[in-house]
Amino acid sequence: MTENEPTVIARTVVRIVVPIILVTAVALLLQGHNAPGGGFIGGVLTVVAFALIYIIYGLEYFETELLHRTALPRALPGEPVEDDSQQRPGVTKEFSEVLAIGLALAAGSGIVAIALGYPFLSQAVVFVTGIPLFHEIEVASALAFDIGVYFVVVGGLLTVIAVVGAE
Amino acid sequence: MQPNQWVMAVIVGLPFLAAALTPLVYRLLGERTAYASAAVAAVSFGLVGWFATTGARGLVSWTWIDAPGFEVALSFYVDGLSLLIGFLASGIGVLILTYSGGYMHEEPGKMKFYATLLAFMGSMLGVAFAADLVVLFVFWELTSISSFILIGHYTGESSSRYAARKSMLITVAGGLFMLLGFLFLAGEGGTFQLLGTDRALLAQAESLREGLRADGLFVPALVLIGIGAAAKSAQVPLHIWLPNAMEAPTPVSAFLHSATMVKAGVYLVGRFRPLLASEEWQLLFVAMGLVTMTVAAILAVGASDIKELLAYSTASHLGLIIAGFGVVGGGASAYGAETGSFHVLNHAAFKAALFLVAGIIAHEAGSRLIDDLGGLWRDLPIAAGVTVIAALGMAGVPPFNGFYSKEFLFEATYELAHASGGLWWILPAVAVFGSVFTFLYSIRFLMLFFGEKPDALGHIHTPPWSMRLPAVALAVVAGLIGLGGITATAGVHIGPLEEFVRQVVGATAIDQSGEHGAHFSYYLPTEPTVPVLMSATTIGLGVVAYPFYDQLRDVVRRLRSVSLLSANWYYDSVVEGLDRSRAVESTIQTGLLRTYALVLLLAVSVMTLLAYATAAVGLPAFGSVASPIPMVIVLGVAVVAAFAVTRAPSHIAGVLTLSILGFMVAIFYILGDAPDLALTQLLIETLVLVLFLLVLDKLPPFYGEARRWVLARDAAASAVVGITVFLTVLVTTAASPASRISNFFLERGGVPAEHGTWILEYGGGANIVNVILVDFRAFDTLGEISVIAMAALSVITLVAMRERGDRQ
Repeated sequence: MTENEPTVIARTVVRIVVPIILVTAVALLLQGHNAPGGGFIGGVLTVVAFALIYIIYGLEYFETELLHRTALPRALPGEPVEDDSQQRPGVTKEFSEVLAIGLALAAGSGIVAIALGYPFLSQAVVFVTGIPLFHEIEVASALAFDIGVYFVVVGGLLTVIAVVGAE
Repeated sequence: MQPNQWVMAVIVGLPFLAAALTPLVYRLLGERTAYASAAVAAVSFGLVGWFATTGARGLVSWTWIDAPGFEVALSFYVDGLSLLIGFLASGIGVLILTYSGGYMHEEPGKMKFYATLLAFMGSMLGVAFAADLVVLFVFWELTSISSFILIGHYTGESSSRYAARKSMLITVAGGLFMLLGFLFLAGEGGTFQLLGTDRALLAQAESLREGLRADGLFVPALVLIGIGAAAKSAQVPLHIWLPNAMEAPTPVSAFLHSATMVKAGVYLVGRFRPLLASEEWQLLFVAMGLVTMTVAAILAVGASDIKELLAYSTASHLGLIIAGFGVVGGGASAYGAETGSFHVLNHAAFKAALFLVAGIIAHEAGSRLIDDLGGLWRDLPIAAGVTVIAALGMAGVPPFNGFYSKEFLFEATYELAHASGGLWWILPAVAVFGSVFTFLYSIRFLMLFFGEKPDALGHIHTPPWSMRLPAVALAVVAGLIGLGGITATAGVHIGPLEEFVRQVVGATAIDQSGEHGAHFSYYLPTEPTVPVLMSATTIGLGVVAYPFYDQLRDVVRRLRSVSLLSANWYYDSVVEGLDRSRAVESTIQTGLLRTYALVLLLAVSVMTLLAYATAAVGLPAFGSVASPIPMVIVLGVAVVAAFAVTRAPSHIAGVLTLSILGFMVAIFYILGDAPDLALTQLLIETLVLVLFLLVLDKLPPFYGEARRWVLARDAAASAVVGITVFLTVLVTTAASPASRISNFFLERGGVPAEHGTWILEYGGGANIVNVILVDFRAFDTLGEISVIAMAALSVITLVAMRERGDRQ
């Protein structure tokens, strides 16, 4: 992205819009049980935000500024770095970790049900009453599963974008 | 006494668990993983032995699939037959894994080797104890798959790959035939449970046979299951994979291809014997068994490699066992069961021992060619001792173990011929004829140790104890069985052994309540009966013919080189023909994405359309089309956008117009009261648009002029796809069942007015789509996100590691 630098407008818009998108994504994720939203949609929206940063600012910025990683080139885990042509998106490792955490969370939330003596992936709802302003809040255990879905979607799509984008 | 179900779970499950942990163990123990694995096998062996000695017999069952009418239980059954195969799998497993510790010392890929060997052992134990047809099939194919990996152990060698593919093709395909046969049985019997309950197939054998006959399915079911057994047990003409399988390391040959996996087919025949016994059964299996026994014995005489000789000999002995189990009529049925049951045990003992000896020879002398070897007893005295016991057992020489089971076969064939007369008299003649060749090659193998040592043979090392002990142990077992016959003649029976074989015979006996198995015993004959005369003839002919062994071998080789006579030739022709079909390569496998997309879409469309045509799906009437104005406008814009895509002058314009279409669909969803769908569609559309723009930046603006016929082809293909989708939408939306599934979910999804603190049965959320995703069908969702994860991982593998192959 060095040869045609994005315009100032694009940079500024992204700077303003990305936080809003991320907050919206989290809101969508959390309200999923009772209103349109959920893990999948929230995840895709988050990826849109990241993709915007990536396209406008580049993968390098993404690594150094957002994830505080040192620099490219970095190889995949276990792969020796030989020369600069071996450049790999170093963030891939982080993304795959997000992916793994998501899967573990989703499956783990189902195993909790087994531990309590219910079939795999049984979900429960708790109503917390007496909270100021809201009076009553519904807390669904399915949210844990949804967050798992969210992480898998975010990790999976970002991995694909990072790997393919680095080509 | 009922078997303890957790013990059963450990017997079958532990090897798999150990296989999964092998990478860890290997990191800790290195080479000694062999002994850790042997310990795992020993645990299984001990528990099988515990079942055997405590008299635990019966069914152990866990519910697996409990869909009504399609119940599949993870059930295992303990009886004499399953214990026998269980003993072989785990007991020989202990010896083989110990032996591998010495044999695999300098070999590559040990971690994979031990893990696969353990997984194989677990699968084989599963086959032995499975009491449900589906479970049996699953473990059955698992043995084929692990065998495939083990045969192809030396992945770099093309002969290894060829052998692995051949065995996979034959045994797995055989398993699929068997599955079809199973389905016939289950369809008739109404259950997949093979034995152990009152409703099980074996409990209703009589009515099952009649029912199948009435439907004309008896012979097909019999033949299909027979093909499965024949493929696994290397019966002619499906025997061709077994000699090639000798490409595997010798422990594998000894374990899988002589003692256990090939026994699966024999086991199947024994297991189904009470269920399907009939005239056709007898004809099929006696003929198949005797032909295999003879043909494979002749081929063994023509072998030039010691492992090849043993491989053909294995096929030959499996033929003997199958012929034994095949005999069900003419008052000879009991002898048949005794032949099969006893020879499974005898053959496993002597053949595994001989394979281990072959491994020692190959490892220490550095050659497997029969002509290069001789006089080995000076350097390998222990192996020579083992070979004397095992080879004479294989030859059927009294008083060694193979003699007794062969006597039962002679007796069975003679009794059958005597009772039925006519053409059946061929059977005893063929049995003797085949046995002469068995005698010949057995003695030839024995003679490797005697006579002059060729000068070309260098110094022979002494093998490590880990390689000698297992062979000795097997020879001791074989020797003890032989000894039992001598002592029995003197009136002293080896009680536990005879009792055990009695139970095996009982499990394969046709009349389950019959008492013949109850007095199984074997002894050296003291007076000249017909079977004794047959044995004497065999040995006499063998002794006379042995001096002409080399001439015989040349004749066999000349016959074998005639391609029309060789089953291998047919196999190679077929596989090669399929492999090299240029038509497939040039039209479908072009390596171009657009060809794949074209073929895939067209195939799906054509099959869908065919399905509609065969099901005679009617199109709904068009009269009731009534759309609100906003929807018409949105769809109108979509149609215009779709048309505009085809006219777009550049990629960017094309993508942008395409996304107009996508956004219109999203608005359509909003109008159709599906906010969740709309949200998803909008987001995906946005993401795809952004990604497309990213990629388009790098693409050339112009590809060049497309040829006219390509354009025509693409237009036709897209028309077909479009019509298919259009029809599908029409047909699916026309169906409006009386009770809609959405109501079911709507009733149960939301928070009820009177709610407690916990809701467990149903969803408990207001957004029904999300509740379905995370509550009702969470398992589905889990599967889907696993697919996403897998896709991401494959992208990493495909894209980021694609150059690695060149560097390694």
